[in-house]
Amino acid sequence: MAAPMELSCWGGDWGLPSLHPESLTVMAYAKFSGAPLTVNTINNSWRPPKGEVPVLISEDIVISQPAKILNFLRRQKYNADYELSAKQGADTLAYIALLEEKLLPALLHTFWVEAENYCSVTKPWFASRIAFPLSLYLPGKMSREALNRILLTRGGPPLYSLTEVEAQIYRDAKECLNLLSKRLGTSQFFFGDTPTTLDAFVFGFLAPIYKVCFPRVQLQEHMKQLPNLCRFCDDVLTCYFRLTVSGHSPAGQDTADANLQKLTQLVNKESNLIEKMDDNLRKSPQHPPRKLTTLKLAAGGEESSPLNRLSP
Amino acid sequence: TAAEPWPENATLYQQLKEEQILLSDNASSLAVQAFLQMCNLPIRVVCRANAEYMSPSGKLPFIHVGNQVVSELGPIVQFVKAKGHSLSDGLDEVQKAEMKAYMELVNNMLLTAELYLQWCDDVTVEEITHPRYGSPYPWPLNRILSYQKQWEVRRKMKAIGWAGKTLEQVLEDVDQCCQALSQRLGTQPYFFNKQPTELDALVFGHLFTILTTQLTTDELSEKVKNYSNLTAFCRRIEQQYFEGHDKDSSTTVTARSAKRSLLR
Repeated sequence: MAAPMELSCWGGDWGLPSLHPESLTVMAYAKFSGAPLTVNTINNSWRPPKGEVPVLISEDIVISQPAKILNFLRRQKYNADYELSAKQGADTLAYIALLEEKLLPALLHTFWVEAENYCSVTKPWFASRIAFPLSLYLPGKMSREALNRILLTRGGPPLYSLTEVEAQIYRDAKECLNLLSKRLGTSQFFFGDTPTTLDAFVFGFLAPIYKVCFPRVQLQEHMKQLPNLCRFCDDVLTCYFRLTVSGHSPAGQDTADANLQKLTQLVNKESNLIEKMDDNLRKSPQHPPRKLTTLKLAAGGEESSPLNRLSP
Repeated sequence: TAAEPWPENATLYQQLKEEQILLSDNASSLAVQAFLQMCNLPIRVVCRANAEYMSPSGKLPFIHVGNQVVSELGPIVQFVKAKGHSLSDGLDEVQKAEMKAYMELVNNMLLTAELYLQWCDDVTVEEITHPRYGSPYPWPLNRILSYQKQWEVRRKMKAIGWAGKTLEQVLEDVDQCCQALSQRLGTQPYFFNKQPTELDALVFGHLFTILTTQLTTDELSEKVKNYSNLTAFCRRIEQQYFEGHDKDSSTTVTARSAKRSLLR
């Protein structure tokens, strides 16, 4: 067995395990390939995210970019692409390039450059997860880097203003979404019934667009017109991240279990009280005797079951 | 306008072939030439020292057709399509998606690797790029223009995360890209079997240029030569679309050992 592996990445919200596309890609791949990763989401601790996030730490080895992390996992025999043919492996590389060239600029723009989105959603969310005083500086830096990247890669002539560049990158992103939708068709995953590296990357890029609630959402609206892509994201979330409709993130699974325990204890107390009342009622001749069983703690069960058993 | 037929005097502009043009621009220019040959559209290649400044987007090559000027392969393909010529009409939707994805792969990996080698590898920069890029201009303009371009390219490399890569890593990426192209091509004559498309033109442009350009080391061309179906692919396209057309370029893949190639 490989040495224990720790992944340090941005956390999630809105039903996602992470908001950050690269982090989400690595987390998804780990789920698909069965790699046992301990996920540490960046919070207000004093250890600032060291440069590139996500970062995989295994004993002394520190690896930073998604492609490199996935390579490392494959070398440790956690390979989600085991069944793919050579041509399918080649297709994977090509589609990942398509995502990076055509979809990423608009994704970065939606999160980090679009003023309303950045100020009302992205900046507060990230700032709340970074220790003060870095929280004052780091989100701004990430925003500037995003704008820089967009302008340097897509901003040359004949596009002379930011609005022209923006229009072009959103056009390209919508076309990319259309192409992905056509390629996916009616299959469950991109190469059949089991998810692979490509599914991890597509999920990593699409899920934030799909789920995060921004004020300006042109990409999300476009994606909602492509139901197979939405279905793809939902499938990955429900099958591999065990998210219920209410959307508890796996990082909060422990707290959910603790809450469940507390809830069950409360319900047991309540049912004891009700039994007492019932005893009193039984002593009076009008009502037939009834029994209420005490609830047992359900191990990892659904929240709704204890409540269901309380039948009047 | 789109309605006008393709004129006889359509021209393609690129930098000076012998002294100035660099690997990446040569590849892009060859890709466009191959595409137009495949569409059976006549084009005349004209070399100008200031081609980069004439281009509407600053990137090369660009074509001058009628009274319109279009640069780069992507827009040129669209432009040609508006005039009624297309190589990819016979593809279904999934194949078109695949074609676009593979074209992005070439741009994302091969073209970026070429730019890295030209502008971020110090040896290549000193010995090949700086002398060539500024060659039409007198000192100190030649040095100033070179350094300016180098700064621009390095800034872009930093933004996309390539600045931290070593040459070995870049060559590995090239290998990975060639492997993917080789696997996709398989034993077929073209990427979408019987007929060439813009993807074939783009791949040909880059691979042929890499194979026939002499740099400070042979490592780059060796990566391509590892895949025999790719070299056969280049030879096939060269024979079919370029033999007999190109009088000034006496470089062919087969004759490479005999005659020195496009650069240097």
